[in-house]
Order: sequence, then C-alpha cells, then structure tokens
Amino acid sequence: MDAEEQSLLAEALRGTMTETAAGTALDAALGDLGWADLLAEEPAVAVRLVFSLLGETGAHAPVLNDVVLAATGQPLGGTVALPYAGGRVVVWERKDAGSAPDEGGLLDGTLPLRVLGAGDDAEAAAVVTDPAALAAGRRALGWWLVGTGRAMLALARTHALDRVQFGRPIAGFQAVRHRLAETFVALEGAEAALAAAEDELASLLGKAAAGQAALDAARHCQQVLGGIGFTAEHALHRHIRRALVLDGLFGNTRELTREAGAHIRRLGRAPRIAHL
Amino acid sequence: MTATDLVPAGFTPPVDAETVSVEDYRAAVQRWLDEHAAELAKPAEHSLEAEVAQLGKVRRALFDAGWMRYGWPVAAGGLGGPDVLRAVLNEEIAERDLTDGTNFSIVEVLAPTMVSYARPELAAEMLPLLLSGREQWCQGFSEPGSGSDLASLSTRATRRDDGSWVVNGQKVWTSLAQYAQRCVLLTRTAPGHAGITAFFVDMDSPGITVRPLRTMHGIDEFCEVFFDDVVIPADRMLGNEGDGWRLAMDLLPYERSTCFWHRITYLFTRLDMLLAEAAKQETEPEAATDAAIGAAYLALHTVRCRSRDTQRRLAAGAHLGPETSVDKILLSTADQKLFDTAREVLPGTIELTDAHWRTEYLYSRAATIYGGTAEIQRNIVARRMLDLGKE
Ligand SMILES: Cc1cc2nc3c(=O)[nH]c(=O)nc-3n(C[C@H](O)[C@H](O)[C@H](O)COP(=O)(O)OP(=O)(O)OC[C@H]3O[C@@H](n4cnc5c(N)ncnc54)[C@H](O)[C@@H]3O)c2cc1C
Repeated sequence: MDAEEQSLLAEALRGTMTETAAGTALDAALGDLGWADLLAEEPAVAVRLVFSLLGETGAHAPVLNDVVLAATGQPLGGTVALPYAGGRVVVWERKDAGSAPDEGGLLDGTLPLRVLGAGDDAEAAAVVTDPAALAAGRRALGWWLVGTGRAMLALARTHALDRVQFGRPIAGFQAVRHRLAETFVALEGAEAALAAAEDELASLLGKAAAGQAALDAARHCQQVLGGIGFTAEHALHRHIRRALVLDGLFGNTRELTREAGAHIRRLGRAPRIAHL
Repeated sequence: MTATDLVPAGFTPPVDAETVSVEDYRAAVQRWLDEHAAELAKPAEHSLEAEVAQLGKVRRALFDAGWMRYGWPVAAGGLGGPDVLRAVLNEEIAERDLTDGTNFSIVEVLAPTMVSYARPELAAEMLPLLLSGREQWCQGFSEPGSGSDLASLSTRATRRDDGSWVVNGQKVWTSLAQYAQRCVLLTRTAPGHAGITAFFVDMDSPGITVRPLRTMHGIDEFCEVFFDDVVIPADRMLGNEGDGWRLAMDLLPYERSTCFWHRITYLFTRLDMLLAEAAKQETEPEAATDAAIGAAYLALHTVRCRSRDTQRRLAAGAHLGPETSVDKILLSTADQKLFDTAREVLPGTIELTDAHWRTEYLYSRAATIYGGTAEIQRNIVARRMLDLGKE
C-alpha cells in the first residue's frame, strides 16, 4: 500500500473512530471497513494505523483479540485469554462495558476487561504463550500506547499555548517546553523502535519503548495541564488511565525491560536489530 | 590536477561504487578487515598519541585499499557511491574496536561540508589528505564567550587590500587541534548571523598558538587556539562571505547520520563488554541488574532504530533539519545510561580498578555538552518541532 493510500485509509479510520461509539459498535464498523482483509493482507500497515488511531482518538475496540488470533492462524472474532502484568490473565470481551472511566472497579472502566480469578483456571490455562502471537500483540499495543501518548501531548501542547500566567502563555516557560520536548522525543523513539519491530525481541523492545514513552507522556502532560488536567471533565485522565492499563497487557514496561536484560545477559551479546 | 589523477593509475576499486548493494559492500569490507586484522589491531598503549597514530594507520590502510574513498565524490578523490557506504564502513570499524569511540568519525563531521563549500580544486587537494590519514582536521567554532550561543562569536576576520584576510581572536574546546594540519574556522566579518564567514585554515600559519587543555577523563583531546594577525588567503574562504552560519547548520545532517551511527555501534560493543564482565562476576545477578542492563539496551536499540530511519531519509534525498535534535537527545541519553549502568553492574570497577571503564565513563559525561547541549536540543525541539513559539 503506498503512502497516499495509507493516508486515505487513516482518514477513513479516524472518521469512523470519532463518529462511532467505542466498543462493539466500533468493532462492527471496523469490520465493515475491511479490517479482517486488511489484517490478512497488510498486517503491518493495518496494525500500525488501527492501533495508533485508537490511541489518538481515545476510542477502543476489542480488536487486540483478532491480532492474536490471526498470528496463530485462527478465525477472527472471538476472544483469547491475554497475559497481564504480575502474572495475571484477562479477557478483552467483545461486549460493552460502562461508559465512565471510573466505573466497574477497574482503572479504565470503559474497557470490557474481565480479570480471571480463582474459578477460571481452565480459561486462564489457555493464555497466549505462542511467541509469534505475543510479538504481534506487543506490536499492536505498542502502537496504541504511542497513539495515546500523542493524544496527551496534543492536549498539553494546546493548553500550554492557551493558558496565560504571569502575563504570557505558559508555553514560553522553558520548564514547560522541555517537558513537552521530552515527551515528543520519547514518542518519536518509540515509533522508530516499533517500525523496526519484526521479530520477537524487537517486538518486546518496541512495546517497552512505547510503554515508557506513554508513561513519560502521562507524567509530563499531567504536570503541564495543572489543575484542569486533574478534573474528570478534561480528557487527559481518560488517556492516562488507558495508557496505564495498556502498559500492563503482555508484560508491562518494567517486566519487558528486565526480560530484555536477562535475555541479552544469557546471550552474552546485545543483538543489533535495525540494519542499514 | 584532474579528477582521475586523484586515484593512482592501475588502482582497481574492490567493488563498483554505483552498483554495489549495501550487503555486498559490507561483506567485502568485512572480508578485507578480517584478512588485515593483525596489522590493523589497536595497540595496547592507551595514550592520545597512540590513538592518533592508530587513527592514521587505519585510515591509511583503508584509503590505500579503496574503502575509505567510497561515498565521497570522484571530483574530490573519492570513488563515488551513496553516503550509506560510509556509514557501513564506520560501523565495521566500530564493531572491530579498531579506533577509539569518536575520532574515526570526525571525518564525517568536517569533510562533507568542507567538500560542498570549498572551491573544487581545494576540496580535491585536501580531502585525500584527510581520508588517507596523512592529516587531522579540527573544528574551530566555540569560543570562550560563545558556546551554546555560537552566533555571538567574535573572532574577527578583516579583509586586506590584496584580498587576503587577517584573523584575530580565540577558539576553545577545539578537539585534536594539537594534531591538526587544518581547521574549519568560523569568524566574524559583519554583525549578525549573516556576518559569520568560514575559512579553511592551515594550522601552521604564523600567528596561531595551540595550547592543549587538560580534560576530566585524562585524554587531553581539546585545546585553546589563539589567532594573532593570522593571514588567510582569499581562496581559503568556504563558500562566500557571510555563509558561515549556513555552513555550520549544514554540518548537522552528516554529524547526525554517519557519525552517530559510528558512536551507536561503538556503544553496542561496550554493552557487549559489559555483558562479558557481568558474566565473570561471582554472585548471581539480581533482578535489578537485568532491569538496568535491559534499560540501557532499550535506549541503545531505540536510537539505533531512529538513526537508521534518519539515514534512510537522507538517502531518499530528504533535507535533514531540526528533527535530528531527536536523534541527538536519544543518543546522548543512551550514552550516559550505558555507562551509568556499567558503574551499577560492576561496582567499584570504575572507581578502583579499571582505567578503561573509568575513561569511558567520564567521557560519556560530555555527551550532553558537545555538539549542542541537551538543553539547546530541547529548545530546538520545542521551538521547531512542537511550534511552541518563542521563550
Ligand atoms: C569533549 C568536548 C569536545 C568538544 N569539541 C569541540 C570542537 O572540536 N570544536 C568546537 O568548536 N567546540 C567543541 N566543543 C565545545 C562544545 O560545542 C560546547 O561546549 C557547547 O556548545 C556548549 O558551550 P559552553 O561549553 O560554552 O556552555 P554554555 O553555552 O555556557 O552552557 C552552560 C550551560 O548552560 C546551558 N544553557 C546555555 N544556553 C541555554 C539556553 N538558551 N537555554 C537553556 N540552557 C542553556 C547549557 O545547556 C549548559 O548546561 C567540545 C566540547 C566538549 C565537552
């Protein structure tokens, strides 16, 4: 798919994601847009566009399941038990959760996540362990996290230019500028790492870089937004909740970073992955 | 001298510059470096003199075999071919640890801009001297009063009646000036950004005094350079009067592509060394060790991916600009993180026992200062990439 086709597709996806209710309705709308064929034919483009736009628009749909199913050659449309930080297992249901982020007993109550517990041993035993499926899931989550980070940066940037203190926009203060620059650099680095993520190790690193970038974005953007960013009314907290929850799926930044370290220590060498 | 005289009669290039693929070029370089491993090996002695001599030896051998000429214009004594061939050579040199961590790629900072701004005859005369290791060049930009605010520089050049120029002033932090035969020098010829003019100066010109400075890491690589009524012929101007600022900005794309690729590769070899040393330790590593090693690896991998993208854009004809400040921030952060990790994972080594790790650790402290400080890079990102307006 050439660059022009990709940007047309991105616009169509963005439109759908902003106009359709998140969750099952968006799941169906993505289906109508040809999600299944796209994932089969152009998996890298499909995953990058769909997931980074879910992040940027703040929408959600249970399509992470499809990425995992496709990677293991199974039909799309179902659910899979997904690994979560701390050795937990969750299911991303294909049904709707609450509409407020603080509903439902989870950090991001808008997501239809079911945490498997004591009685769910059989279901939890089927948790994804296939390396190719883990890698595919991590790439998708990485793009989602980067998109979420971009959404936070856009909110903080606008606020910095609009908000006047001491007689000038706070965007004029170097401490504010450097926080936003830091966020931008982390997101750009994560994108480069994700674009180079083909094998398992590179996908793990890509998700770790994206998780780190999203967490950095949350910290810096929250600070730049001051009191308004702490209100339920402002959109920031939705993205922060989303980033924290996504970070935990398929291993959080801390776990993945440690795993990468242990891996290269056993190997005795640091693999060079991107080549000229 | 014509372009073809620049390559000796009877010299057959090892590969065809215009058609060779990156993979074939790399394989050919690797074969040649393997065959010549013994004669190119780094000396055990770790002084700056030994390092500079090694630099000359490696460049000379690579030049004579042709490798050092790829990616440079035929008109200036190169063999032609894309810039990426130079990055591959830099990578292979760094992977084999043949020279120290930065100096091999100084060529990449100074030569591309010199070649594009100098008169063609001057470029053809001088570039082979640098590439072949016969000469070192230095970069005379910073001054005691002008560091981050480079455009405030005050080393004055005044035109004489015969058209030549007289230079008075002082440069500082000039790396390798004590070994350099030439200097790419920025001077003031009029007020403002448009009043900066660049010259290509012979370091043995009367009136130049070089005083090496002691550095923190013990390798006294930089100097103060004084100019007292130094006469520079008119034909040593780089570009035209007032082009100096543009020249300084045009330097960045090369510094931030090929040269960064060299440093990134070099840092990967240091991470490998750290892994080897960690394996020798008696106690089982803690989870914290893996976390620290993983974080250093993640940072290095990230800047490698970013730098690869930047070089692809350059190869596709893109004009590189302020977005390379992202590369610079990622690299200087990864550089320091790696050596911080070495200090954590090998407790006591840097402080008590190992001079190599100590030197490299200390040198990494400068990564957020040279080439534009960490703060200046963030200012550029804020202003140019995020469009936040003025401070
Ligand atoms: C190892 C090494 C090698 C070098 N080699 C060369 C060389 O070969 N040739 C050459 O010309 N130069 C060389 N330099 C000089 C280097 O480019 C300068 O040190 C650098 O540009 C910073 O200038 P300065 O040291 O005067 O610091 P200053 O500009 O005085 O900065 C001091 C501190 O103030 C901060 N600061 C300054 N302005 C701002 C601002 N607007 N906003 C926020 N913070 C600010 C800086 O970030 C820094 O933290 C070298 C330096 C080192 C360390």
